Amino acid sequence: MTQTPAVVVRDLHVRFGDVEAVSGVDLTADSGRATALLGRNGAGKSTTMKVLAGVVPPTSGAVTVAGHDAATDALGVKRVVGYCPDVGGLVPRATPWEHLQLSARLRRMGDWEQRGRDLLERFELGDVAHRVVGGFSHGMSRRLSVVLAALHEPAVLLLDEPFDGVDPLGVEATLEVVADARARGACVLLSTHLRDLALEACGEAIVLRGGNRVAAMEAAELTGEAYRALLD
Amino acid sequence: MPSSTDIRTDIRTDTRTDARLDTWLDAARDTGHLVAFRARTVRRRRAGAVGVVVVLALSLVFAVAPSGFDPASVDSPTVARAFASIRGNLGATFAGFLLLAVAASVGSGGGRELLSRSEAAVHPISPVTEHLGALLLAPLNLAWLVQMWGLLAITALVASPEHLLGAQFVVLAWVLAATAFGQAVGWAVEGVRRTARGVLAVRVVGGLVVATLVGLHLAGHLGRVVGALPTTWVAATAQTSGWPLAVLVLLGLAAVGVVVGARPAAWALGLPPREELRVQSGVHEARPAPEPRWGSPDRALLRRLDRGSVWRSVGMRRGLLTLGLGPGLVALVAGLEWGSVMLLPGLTASGAALLFGVNAWCLDGKGMVWRETLPVSAADVFDVRALVVAECMALCSGVTVVLALLRNGLPPLVTGVAVLSCWLVVVVQVLAIVMTWSIRSPYSVDLSSPRATPAPHAAMAGYAGRLSLVTTLTAMLFTGLTVLPWAWVPAVVAVPFVAWSSRRLVRARRRWLADDERARVVLTVAAV
Repeated sequence: MTQTPAVVVRDLHVRFGDVEAVSGVDLTADSGRATALLGRNGAGKSTTMKVLAGVVPPTSGAVTVAGHDAATDALGVKRVVGYCPDVGGLVPRATPWEHLQLSARLRRMGDWEQRGRDLLERFELGDVAHRVVGGFSHGMSRRLSVVLAALHEPAVLLLDEPFDGVDPLGVEATLEVVADARARGACVLLSTHLRDLALEACGEAIVLRGGNRVAAMEAAELTGEAYRALLD
Repeated sequence: MPSSTDIRTDIRTDTRTDARLDTWLDAARDTGHLVAFRARTVRRRRAGAVGVVVVLALSLVFAVAPSGFDPASVDSPTVARAFASIRGNLGATFAGFLLLAVAASVGSGGGRELLSRSEAAVHPISPVTEHLGALLLAPLNLAWLVQMWGLLAITALVASPEHLLGAQFVVLAWVLAATAFGQAVGWAVEGVRRTARGVLAVRVVGGLVVATLVGLHLAGHLGRVVGALPTTWVAATAQTSGWPLAVLVLLGLAAVGVVVGARPAAWALGLPPREELRVQSGVHEARPAPEPRWGSPDRALLRRLDRGSVWRSVGMRRGLLTLGLGPGLVALVAGLEWGSVMLLPGLTASGAALLFGVNAWCLDGKGMVWRETLPVSAADVFDVRALVVAECMALCSGVTVVLALLRNGLPPLVTGVAVLSCWLVVVVQVLAIVMTWSIRSPYSVDLSSPRATPAPHAAMAGYAGRLSLVTTLTAMLFTGLTVLPWAWVPAVVAVPFVAWSSRRLVRARRRWLADDERARVVLTVAAV
């Protein structure tokens, strides 16, 4: 029996006024696997991620995330998704611990403190757990965004540019989070410009161009030349 | 014949003077470039032009219209007493404007900025340019506008028609001088604030100033002290044929204020902003999740987060304290009667809303996207944000009312009902308006600096004008109701106002609940 993919996107269109940010994307991503979403700036990766996170409603098309329809059940989608946005993603005058507390309580997590502490330590944020994030460096903010996405062990983990401006130890910790999520059977979608890291973290790759999917393949098949050719 | 040493000294002095002149000319040119850049980013140009025309027209109306009023034509001892009080306190009103200019500049960390700190970081913008920019932006402030209109109106009321023009020239010259002086003081205080232990020093000195004013008032000496200020001479001269002298003196003082203010500006801007840095690196120990007796724990948690976003911001905290205490102290010290006090809750509520409420979602900054991924209903998010905005407005205006109560004692029943009804109406009115604006026109802003504003300056000017107009007209209506013998009338009149504003608030909420509208707000505020 074939398992239903955790993420199913059919003919997704997202329009902001006159601009069509996503024009007819189709993709599927399975549980227990990590899929890289690649493409140039403006290819529609981040907008697709936002639709999958329940932040932006699809203009048309069908989007199902862990069985929840993103168009009609955004709240259900938010419960099962952990999302690290591409930019910022943190409330400037709240502390990391307050971010974790809010996220955990709204998801009805019981004993979350130990896991929160472990994740903060793993990402070397334990010392600043009670400082407001407004004073954080870009890399620290990115690391905390990954921690927040992973805290509740979501069924679908969406990481949008998680390596951007992050030091090697942070990259390592992020790769561990992806591996852990795959190991417990979660579906991971990872959007990045860094092909090498995408290949290291993911087994499959999807390339978007101009708001469309132009290729889906095993990550190992995506050589530098092949990727370059798909971008042009 | 001059010696060679004299010639060298002259050349050095000339070179230095030329360099200073160049600095000012460069700064003026750069300010022009920045203003033009900001002007090009105005979204609704026609609305902006209409706003400027309305402000100028209102200024003209306030400067001329009250002149036709003859208190003798109204055979009322109350009106005669009020008129005599206004005439006697004109010098104090001039001093009040100066106090406001200083408070506004001190409260906003030296003055507003033409470009936000992060935007300006990559450009070679000199402190003199920053200083000139702050001076230009000083009028885009609700309290500044209202006080200026008040000053024009009162002067028109008390000046004889043949001296009206001269008196209003004096008022305008005073407004310029007070603004320039206030700006210089604001930069100096900001400089002190940025030194080690400067925050403490500013708080102690500020407390002492307030305590002295209150002490003088309680001892019955304040009136004499204020009467001895040079503003009494300015106010008196304005109403005579000697007004050109007053204008010349004031314009000279304004020029001196502008030039001198550049010094503390350069000093302050060269120091690290300690208070902001302290807040950014401040430790806030974890507190257990709230377990409210009433209401949902989710809402309580959201409320805590939103309140933290307000009170951990240096600018908002400072603004709320200034708005809470400033007008109340004016009411206390200047001895405003209930008729005038009625105007204050609306204006302070509007001022509080202008700190962040007009763009309420900007509290979350770029964290708005993350907030939107939380599994909590959009209705809860809206309700909690509206409550926090309302809390800030009610707090500021409430302090004003309480301080007025201390000054005037319990009012007659009809006045008391009118004050409470008016307070409720203006808070709900402003809340409905600003929540509508927050959804219709969101902006991405970084409020970490106290010099930042929650919306572009042109928009802020429009917001300030509209809020002050609406709340002032409402307050005037309720002031009029106090002459009636029936205490129930103000409460009944409040009902349609509250109903209309509630309807508007519900409409804004409905708009927020629409997924695509909410997504637009989220993406705009987070600038992604």
